[in-house]
Amino acid sequence: MLEAVNLSKTYISDGISYDALRTIDLKIDKGERAAITGRSGSGKSTLMHLLACLDEPTSGSVLLDGKDISGLSERERNVLRNEKFGFVFQQFFLNGRETVLENVALPLRIRGWRESKIRSAAKAALASVELEDKAGKRAKDLSGGEKQRVCVARALVGEPQMIFADEPTGNLDSTTGKLLEDMLFQLNAARGITLVIVTHDPDLARRCGRVVNVKDGRIETDFGAKGEVR
Amino acid sequence: MRLWGIIRMANRSLLRNKLRTFLTISAIFVGSFTLTLTNGLGDGLRAYVENQVKNVEAERVVFIRKQAPVAGPRLSDDEPAEYREGENKDENGLDPSAMSFTLQQIESITKDIPGIKTITPHYSIQAEYITLDGSKKYQAGLGMLSDGVIQKTEAGRTIDGKDQVIIPHGLARALDANIAALIGKHATIVYKNAAGELKTLSLEIVGVATKGFITNTNSFVDVQTAKQIYDDQKTGYDADKFFNFSLQMESVSDGKLAEVKKAFEAKGFAADTMADQKKRTYDAIGIFKIGMNFFAMIALLAASFGIVNTLIIAVMERTKEIGLQKALGLSRGKIFLMFSLESILIGFWGAIIGILSAIISGVIANRFLVSSYLPSFEGYDFFSFTLPSIVSVLALVSAIAFIAGVFPAFRASKLNPIESLRYE
Repeated sequence: MLEAVNLSKTYISDGISYDALRTIDLKIDKGERAAITGRSGSGKSTLMHLLACLDEPTSGSVLLDGKDISGLSERERNVLRNEKFGFVFQQFFLNGRETVLENVALPLRIRGWRESKIRSAAKAALASVELEDKAGKRAKDLSGGEKQRVCVARALVGEPQMIFADEPTGNLDSTTGKLLEDMLFQLNAARGITLVIVTHDPDLARRCGRVVNVKDGRIETDFGAKGEVR
Repeated sequence: MRLWGIIRMANRSLLRNKLRTFLTISAIFVGSFTLTLTNGLGDGLRAYVENQVKNVEAERVVFIRKQAPVAGPRLSDDEPAEYREGENKDENGLDPSAMSFTLQQIESITKDIPGIKTITPHYSIQAEYITLDGSKKYQAGLGMLSDGVIQKTEAGRTIDGKDQVIIPHGLARALDANIAALIGKHATIVYKNAAGELKTLSLEIVGVATKGFITNTNSFVDVQTAKQIYDDQKTGYDADKFFNFSLQMESVSDGKLAEVKKAFEAKGFAADTMADQKKRTYDAIGIFKIGMNFFAMIALLAASFGIVNTLIIAVMERTKEIGLQKALGLSRGKIFLMFSLESILIGFWGAIIGILSAIISGVIANRFLVSSYLPSFEGYDFFSFTLPSIVSVLALVSAIAFIAGVFPAFRASKLNPIESLRYE
């Protein structure tokens, strides 16, 4: 379970402070699929960055399974992200000149696994997004939908507890976007991986069930899968 | 991430931009190539000199000559000296007779210094020809081996008594293909005396000199024989005066040598041992090498800016990649290491290519120069490449490359992952 307690983030630039998040309290259960929505500038991305340990809160804390992870050292947070979290980004961030397999292998290389173990895990991850036949291709030669599936494989390969997806379908047409959503939900259902999806697509948010709407750095509404207020 | 993984990634990043990597390596190549060649030239010269002088040993001998005074009036650019009658006569030229001395004059200096075994003037002698029974007559340069000076020989031994001669290698081979067979035979040396009459001496061949600077053409006789020839040949009132003397010491103690040198230097003489002379030559080669290396270092300095430039561009280009790697848990230290390794690899490959090209060029140049311009280098390398100098070039260039990479690598390591992922 991921929990935000009294979470605030204030940016200071040129002496002017700007509250991106103000005293957020949020609980995401294990295996849940949560959409974080809001307009651009609402603070939804900042919230995801804090939850995913990519950034440090100004005050408050983030608890993972009851353990405070916001006070960890940089090194510990690196290890935590590498082992517990997977990431899918709108812009893919694939290395076009490397092979698909090499792109998928990156988290395990960072983890320092043996080469043979890395290769078999990366192949398995590619198989679960149905791209095993593209393993040797260069990433730049894939279609948009395939690229994002490679990103899902890269998020999966380290067997994370949670996947954070930042506008995962933002660069895809609606048909391929749907397919990708199906894939993410299927992983959630089959493997119990918690999904946190930042999106401004209301359809995708609705399909997630849990919808957290952020406005001006605060949680405006938070509905559960059955429409209940959380 | 393991070190091997980081090296692998660094290598792949370099290969991704082949042209840029190649151009950066080329700049390093130029510097390493120059540095290796200049080192090779210095080492080659040193080895050559070492090979030449190692033929002669004289660890107990101090060589004495008069320190040459500065010729001409002492004029300065800024203040012309006013002429006064009779004042600057002595300074207008070098008087050769002021440079030569009698044995007695030298002995007057050494009489208070104990530990000197012999004092030998350098007798300057000439021969007409040298021959062996039944062989042709050969022109001969003739020299004297001072007491205490040991000539290395290819066959036989150095001079150790009276009526002995050491002949040069070339002459020995002309006389007999089996040079060892010449040892113990008597050579006939013919010279002209002061009256122009031909005189004959029969000398025992005790040795055949190994190849070297001084011994390539000359035959050497013992001091007594040299004195005999000199006395026969001497003319003029200055005949008892000599430009050079050598002192043979009883022992090799440094203190003793220093004492003799000091005594003579105080009287305006130059006094040095063969070791001093060698040292001066090596120092000159060393300074030459440093001077040449200086230019190579300038080339390397320029190349290191190329590395900085290449890596800064690489960091900018790969900002998102670095952001992603950090998001996925790659630490600052490893990002720094990865860029440092890229930089070191550029230096390493540049150095390897530069060193190999320098060695190939040097070997070709050695053959070409020996066969055309520098025949005296036969058997020696003009460019000599030693393992320590190659390893030090490799290490130095890699270190320079590493230092050049520090700034870009640091910049990469402190990138913020979130901002990097947003970077356009």
